[in-house]
Amino acid sequence: MMGKNIKAAIVLIAVFAIGLVGFYVFSAEMGDGLERTTSDEGIVESEPIYNAPLDYGSAYGSSLVMGIIGFVAVLLSFTAFWLLAKKRGQKSG
Amino acid sequence: MAPEVWILGFILALPVVAYAFYRVGRTVDERTVPFMALLAAGIFVAQMLNFPVGGGTTGHLVGATLAVLLLGTWGGVVVMTVILTIQCLVFGDGGITALGLNLLNMAVIAPLVTGGILYVFRGKFALPATSAAAWTSVFLGAFAAAVELGLSYSISGGEYGMAMSLAVPAMLGWHLFIGIGEAIITVGIVAFLTRVAPETLKMRIGRPQEALA
Repeated sequence: MMGKNIKAAIVLIAVFAIGLVGFYVFSAEMGDGLERTTSDEGIVESEPIYNAPLDYGSAYGSSLVMGIIGFVAVLLSFTAFWLLAKKRGQKSG
Repeated sequence: MAPEVWILGFILALPVVAYAFYRVGRTVDERTVPFMALLAAGIFVAQMLNFPVGGGTTGHLVGATLAVLLLGTWGGVVVMTVILTIQCLVFGDGGITALGLNLLNMAVIAPLVTGGILYVFRGKFALPATSAAAWTSVFLGAFAAAVELGLSYSISGGEYGMAMSLAVPAMLGWHLFIGIGEAIITVGIVAFLTRVAPETLKMRIGRPQEALA
């Protein structure tokens, strides 16, 4: 079971690494639907009140690393949520 | 966004998110947790891969329909919430004040719309239902975002957001095409999973096998 999940994680990251090539070839310079809508109207984003520690990167290598960091962060956060929910369930049950 | 609007986003989204976490925490089979975590992580990286939709604009997979198909409506809400929260807090995507609205649009409206459409079809016309759910979830999520921009504009007297009459057609125009991309990707993944790992599509909490019977 564990081996199957690790294999699946490797496949997902490999697909991401390949897809990222396409992103940098075709899409990296363009904004998405919301960004396009707001930029067409000349809306400028205000100064953020919270500065995140990381960004998605602006080149293939950095984006790949950030994607893997995000992948692991989501994986761990989800697992942590589950363990917390289970612990609470055991306490109340 | 006007403060009244982004605060409203948290007020509307958080109770639904809390209920979804409660439901999933109580009902999900422990063996499905690694799968849920992998799905969430996979959607996170997929969202980084924008695809061109023409006119110098791109879109990306939202993934709510995929999550609902594999995990049920409440599982979909939980997965989308985890993704959007990590995107916001770790990568600064969307901004912290907009998190409530992003949760409302992509972690509440999109999964609930998908769940509703799949419920209506109840396993019939599996792939057309999947594509309809994927497209509609993106389109209605974008409509909600446009309304939020318009409300911000009205409430703040033009200081935030943009006029509803501009926001709605612009957002819907772009997301008409972005939704098609979402539908194609979602149907492609579902068709692939149906062939190689059909058991994953039976995990729909509450109504197993119905979505893609």
